[in-house]
Amino acid sequence: MSKIIGIDLGTTNSAAAVVEAGQPRIIENVEGNRTMPSVVAVNKANERLVGLLAKRQSVTNPKSTIFSVKRLIGRKWTDPEVQRDKAWLPYEMKESGSGGVEIKLGDEWRSPEEISAMILAKIKADCEAKLGETIDEAVITVPAYFDDSQRQATKNAGEIAGFKVRRILNEPTAAALAYGLNKKTNEKIVVYDFGGGTFDVSVLEVGGDTVEVKSTGGDTHLGGDDFDKAINEYLVKEYKKQEGIDISNDALALQRLKEATERAKHELSTSFEAEINLPYITSDAAGPKHFLMKLTRAKLEELVRSEIDRSITILDKVITDAKLNIKAIDEIVLVGGQTRMPAIQEAVKKYFGKDPHRDINPDEVVALGAAVQAGILQGDVKDILLLDVTPLSVGIETLGGIFTRLIEKNTTIPTAKTQVFSTAADSQTSVEIHVLQGERQMASDNKTLARFILDGIPPSPRGMPQIKVIFDIDANGILNVSAKDKATGKMQSVKIEASTGMSKEEVERLKAEAAASAETDRAKREIAEVRNNADQLLYTAEKSLRDASDKVPAEVKDGINKKIEALKSVKDGSDLERIKSATAELSNEIQKIGAAMYGKGAQEPPHEPSEGPGTK
Amino acid sequence: MNNDEQKKEGPPMEGEGEQLKREREEYLNGWKRAKADLINYQKDEGKRFEEVMKFGMAEMMRDFIPVLDSFDLALSMFEREGKAERGMYMIQAQLEDALKKKGLERMTTSVGMVFDPALHESVGEIESDAPPGTIAEEIEKGYRLQGRIVRPARVKLAKLKTQN
Repeated sequence: MSKIIGIDLGTTNSAAAVVEAGQPRIIENVEGNRTMPSVVAVNKANERLVGLLAKRQSVTNPKSTIFSVKRLIGRKWTDPEVQRDKAWLPYEMKESGSGGVEIKLGDEWRSPEEISAMILAKIKADCEAKLGETIDEAVITVPAYFDDSQRQATKNAGEIAGFKVRRILNEPTAAALAYGLNKKTNEKIVVYDFGGGTFDVSVLEVGGDTVEVKSTGGDTHLGGDDFDKAINEYLVKEYKKQEGIDISNDALALQRLKEATERAKHELSTSFEAEINLPYITSDAAGPKHFLMKLTRAKLEELVRSEIDRSITILDKVITDAKLNIKAIDEIVLVGGQTRMPAIQEAVKKYFGKDPHRDINPDEVVALGAAVQAGILQGDVKDILLLDVTPLSVGIETLGGIFTRLIEKNTTIPTAKTQVFSTAADSQTSVEIHVLQGERQMASDNKTLARFILDGIPPSPRGMPQIKVIFDIDANGILNVSAKDKATGKMQSVKIEASTGMSKEEVERLKAEAAASAETDRAKREIAEVRNNADQLLYTAEKSLRDASDKVPAEVKDGINKKIEALKSVKDGSDLERIKSATAELSNEIQKIGAAMYGKGAQEPPHEPSEGPGTK
Repeated sequence: MNNDEQKKEGPPMEGEGEQLKREREEYLNGWKRAKADLINYQKDEGKRFEEVMKFGMAEMMRDFIPVLDSFDLALSMFEREGKAERGMYMIQAQLEDALKKKGLERMTTSVGMVFDPALHESVGEIESDAPPGTIAEEIEKGYRLQGRIVRPARVKLAKLKTQN
């Protein structure tokens, strides 16, 4: 069965997404972008251009470049909105035979559905190229306020483009689906959608399996483009004040300013000040002129304050009209690129007194939600494998009481992990495997799941034996831990049935505990690690002295012994810095062994390479 | 559901063997699918990583292009005033070479070229001797990163001279 795609057919931009392996993702178009301008054009050679290419020639071909067709689709010619838009849209339009709208594209008159179909056909072709398969079915989104005629026209557009339109989905519903809010029960959700050219507010009610639009409102001529315009006008005016030069008729200067402003606007979402630096913006009799101005976030907010306030007034009206109390709203979802602006997020937060959802890219959330709906319709492959995750980390206790994790929390099961450990002392013939679960750094703070002993390890120096520890959690959450000595092949294992049998509350409590004590735990772990290092070095130092006792002068030995004693005396204390410095001193001191030996070795060249460095 | 009901409703009674066989198929298919999903995911991930490596620089280059534009403007201003100095061109070449190493290429656009929105963006029209609709002037240079357009060349198109 071919895939069903989800399409956000927007006023200024469109996007498409598909569900793969249970997750919706945006499909890039052939130009390599994740969204595409909703623009169609016919050039002088009578070739049709759609998307970015159509936009790139719009300045010199305004009569045959059609944008914002969504404002016209499915509307009557006499619709006040159409009459209002007719005044500012640069292309020609007229009343169609059936009382609708017709638009002149090149030499032909086309219905808005046909224009939209051209956008959808490009999306279809791009998705097919990207996914490498034929796409026949789609879910297309429309604003919640679209009436039957507008919905039908959008559906027709899809069919003209060669899609079987499986569903016409409301944009706010799609946004809620993208956030998985359809799984909630009896919730009221507000979707605040501040796009490039339009502003929409919707109240949704989720109950059972349905998402119902309770009320909608908005302004079809309020959007991020108004912000850009306000900033540009301010900068042009400011520049005139400062330099006495009017650049409002200089197309190139304006173009550069517009781009720099857009960059500054984006920058001000994360920083408080942006610099607009445009050298050689123009020139006059006195020579070249430069444009250098700082724009602060506060100034930007002041410039667009009235637009933001207007959106909140509309929001308030929609909530009031729906006879809802602000307190009754459970979730708020932000849609549209302009909602990245901190001032908008704050205004919405202030109005509701709670944080809105804004983790998903607000330019993509509607398309992603449409893909989620498509996935539901497709009834994805019957999922007989419901995979669980381990709620907490599991591991073993290692030298110094440290908890060494083998399987981290949130790992999808079934899973297995192997790690090789060794002994901590010379001639150690058995190891205890202490299996623990939890998020704390030290073993003693975590929960013991099991303990077992692996013995029969042949006596050997510490660090030599190789003990392979395997953690295996099966699909039922049963943990199998085994330890195997590589030399003898001896093995012990334990099966822990209840490793994931904890209640959700218990798991949460343990995680919270771990987070709360992260700092002290880190300190404990650090001191344990520093002590382990000290131990290791003491062992090496003593062994080296034994091995090389006849080759090293007495004063070197004495020096090392002193440092060994010094380290031993501080090692079990709690002064981290003293242990560290004593370790470093000993480490420096024992290098004298090598120096002394090589000093001698220089006179009698080495002839037994097996005794050289490499054997520890 | 007991056996009597099953008989009445018609579906043939499913023997234990049949059921096991069906389940086995289902599980085997699920397993294959999961394995295939993983392999496909790994392949896709590899491709995505390549893309990121290749075009991850596009953002940075978009920030550099206005600097190159300003350089062009500055040099043409100096040229007009007869103050152009060789060192300036050398600095420009240094900057361009450094960016070229990262895959940024300057596109050549010439007067009279056919306007192609895949490569060019029109910002206006001027009277010109060039055939109408072709490129009459390059305002800002176009750039490719690893072959992909990061900024189209900004051009003015030719229109017929008005008769005097």
